[in-house]
Amino acid sequence: MLSPLEETLLAVMMIVIMFGMGSSLTFKDFRLSLRHPQAVLVGFCSQYLLMPLIAFSLARFLGLSGPQTVGLVLIGCMPGGTTSNIFAYFSKSLLSLSIIMTVCSTLAAIVMVPLLMGVYTAGVEDALRIPPSEIIALLFVLLIPTLLGMWIRRKNANFGAVTELVGGVIGVIVILFLVLTWAPRNWQLLVETHWQVFAAVILVGLIGFLFGYLFSRVLKLGPQKARTVSLETGIQNGPLAALIVTLAFTGELQQQVLLMPVLYSLFIVINSTIVTLFYRKWTRREELARDQAKIEPTG
Amino acid sequence: MSHDDVYDSAPWTAHYAAAHREPDAGLVKANSLPDMLTQAGQQYADHIAFTTCMPNGMSGRLSYAEVEEMSDAFAVYLREGLKLEPGARVAVQMPNCLTLPVVAFGILKAGCVLVNVNPLYTRPEMEHQFNDSGAEVLVIVNLFADKLEDILPRTPIRKVVLTHVAQWFPPVVKGVLHLVLKYWNRAIPRHSMEATGIDAALAEGRRLRDNGNIRVQDYWQGLTRDDTAVLQYTGGTTGVSKGSVLTHGNLLANLEQVDTLAGRHISPGQECILTALPMYHIFAFTVNLLAFYYSGAHNVLVPSPRPIQNCQRAFDNFPISWISGVNTLYNALLNEEWFTVYPPRHMKVALAGGTALHKAVAERWQRLVGCPISEGYGLTETSPVVCFNLIGDERPDSIGIPAPNTQVRLVDDEGATVPLGEPGEMIVKGPQVMQGYWNRPGDTEQSLKDGWFYTGDVAVMESDGHFRIVDRKKDMVLVSGFNVYPNEVEDCIARIPQVQESAVIGVPDEQSGEAVKAFVVLREEGITAEDIIRHCRNELAAYKVPKQVEFRDDLPKTPVGKVLRKELREPAPKTDA
Repeated sequence: MLSPLEETLLAVMMIVIMFGMGSSLTFKDFRLSLRHPQAVLVGFCSQYLLMPLIAFSLARFLGLSGPQTVGLVLIGCMPGGTTSNIFAYFSKSLLSLSIIMTVCSTLAAIVMVPLLMGVYTAGVEDALRIPPSEIIALLFVLLIPTLLGMWIRRKNANFGAVTELVGGVIGVIVILFLVLTWAPRNWQLLVETHWQVFAAVILVGLIGFLFGYLFSRVLKLGPQKARTVSLETGIQNGPLAALIVTLAFTGELQQQVLLMPVLYSLFIVINSTIVTLFYRKWTRREELARDQAKIEPTG
Repeated sequence: MSHDDVYDSAPWTAHYAAAHREPDAGLVKANSLPDMLTQAGQQYADHIAFTTCMPNGMSGRLSYAEVEEMSDAFAVYLREGLKLEPGARVAVQMPNCLTLPVVAFGILKAGCVLVNVNPLYTRPEMEHQFNDSGAEVLVIVNLFADKLEDILPRTPIRKVVLTHVAQWFPPVVKGVLHLVLKYWNRAIPRHSMEATGIDAALAEGRRLRDNGNIRVQDYWQGLTRDDTAVLQYTGGTTGVSKGSVLTHGNLLANLEQVDTLAGRHISPGQECILTALPMYHIFAFTVNLLAFYYSGAHNVLVPSPRPIQNCQRAFDNFPISWISGVNTLYNALLNEEWFTVYPPRHMKVALAGGTALHKAVAERWQRLVGCPISEGYGLTETSPVVCFNLIGDERPDSIGIPAPNTQVRLVDDEGATVPLGEPGEMIVKGPQVMQGYWNRPGDTEQSLKDGWFYTGDVAVMESDGHFRIVDRKKDMVLVSGFNVYPNEVEDCIARIPQVQESAVIGVPDEQSGEAVKAFVVLREEGITAEDIIRHCRNELAAYKVPKQVEFRDDLPKTPVGKVLRKELREPAPKTDA
């Protein structure tokens, strides 16, 4: 995993990134997102109903071991990660909606994670609780810089827009850093791991994207909102899962369970990058199509 | 029998009273455009004149005093630095950005002639326009430097001045935008032309002014309303591109005409107008750039309004009170959630021109924004405004009434006026009508007869003096001796829900001489050519029903969204796009 210095550095970067993301937003954007609160609800359901089920089914289907199942289901039960906001931004989805969903699911995690883990891994471990201080820290990283960014954008659009770009560039650098440094350092681990585990951590994200999208479309959300929910569903807070595992387990068992969130966090970045490029093109096409659509006579 | 009286009695003048202003030819107290510009620059010195707003909200701005100082410096650069004579042509080729007003005003102040060039022109089109106008100097945005480099040796241009779409933004912002455009969008091509940056040109102008004790007004004080100000090229919808010779008087007269009928709704020094239409086009040039500069307005420039999302931050960040646009622009805005949920609160009037404004768009706009879209009619050759709807008394499907001091008649092929209520070609006489086409006496003779400009548009007048455009005369289809107006057939086809748009032309036909052919763009699948023909048969007289239907992915259009029926008639050879 990462060294303490790197973790601190990452947390600081995260604050800068969210500051940049916030700078791309106006208060109107949030009000627009909240005009259809069902999107938040749909996202909530898809995250806390679909994802644990997908993770659990995958574990069964691929015949994962007990500790690996616990790790995978834990990922399924996690709230959305802040990286989902970065990808929402780059895919030109609704960043404001993504942030609202991340905040809601993170708050709900205090109740939902122990509850869901109880359902899916009955009796495996009582200690799978989320420390509230972690939640508070997470929200701090997420909300304060976002609000600050929005406020600055309001005061000075130019400063806001530059901050947005800088935040975006740092976002890309951090993602590249995570991918490029993680793999070589954990080479041994990657070589020794069974293919089923790889399949599980890769598929849980991809199926999450797919089902999140289909679920939203079935419930009549527009394509852009559905893409936002899709990203939010597939991208879970992997680092938080890893943290919970280190708090709840010890010794050999800890290492076995920990493998899942660690591998997930690696592959979700790659998965999301691909999906983001795809969604971005899609958004652009829709923008151009809206340009062309005709106004129907009414009344 | 002559019907001249029907038109020459000018029944529309009765409506002028509603504007609460007397038609007055001397409303703008200026002998030339620089005279008007300088007055406005002094009166509103500390107001913001122009802001360029990028899609991500980044912006740069200039005050009236800055525009004055910089355009003065550019005038000196042209006259002293480049030794241009009065009347020399200077071409300007760029999207909406801060450089455009500065150099356009500078050219006029130098007593030179401004040649507006469409930045999206292809190499052959650029070459034609530079040669035809005889432009000696070109100010061009660096985005298109590669196109220019290829054709430059074959043009009379002897000096190229380069600018940037984010010119005069705060330095850091400009730097960031430059990096994004260059390395992310790859929109700034490499070139090895010899060119001067706009800042260097202005610095040179300032140095020459201070060293030589030059007074810029000496350049323009001798100008009169009869001197040529602008060569405005036209011909997007007709043959080869021709330069309309517009004088200072033509443009000032059009400002006066706009001001007479709309001035009551403009609060001097307090308006904020959104310019999403390109200012190289006569509509935005006269109305947005000149008329609202004269009114001391804050002009918010959008370099590229497509996709329309690019305008969102302009609406977010500025209290837009006026907007000019074309049907497609309003249509696009009304399809955006951010616009329909939070329509601009300060909007007073929206102006439309270019193409027919659809009723559905006008109605939705009125209901949503709470202000009317006022449609007008004009042409490049008439500076451009000929007719417009009185604000507050807009009529659907109407281009309104003729501008003050403008005579309008409707005539048949022999040039005789047609009876009231019958369609005829609109001809116009007035102070805004151009002097002719640049170096084309033949074309001028054809379209300017006895002071009347032949618009080529077929219109109908109602008894109270309101006009309605029927179609382009050239586009009329003659089926077995009957006139078919493509617009009517297109409107009919447009009512089919699956159809996005269509264009109708005439094709040779053995039986009927010409037959109607429709090009149709669908918004969704599931409809055949037979369905379209059946629909038309139910709604139109038999001879108007299309005989052929061809489906297309899109239709060729001009920059303001006019369908180029000409290109459908004879597919143009592929040029470098």
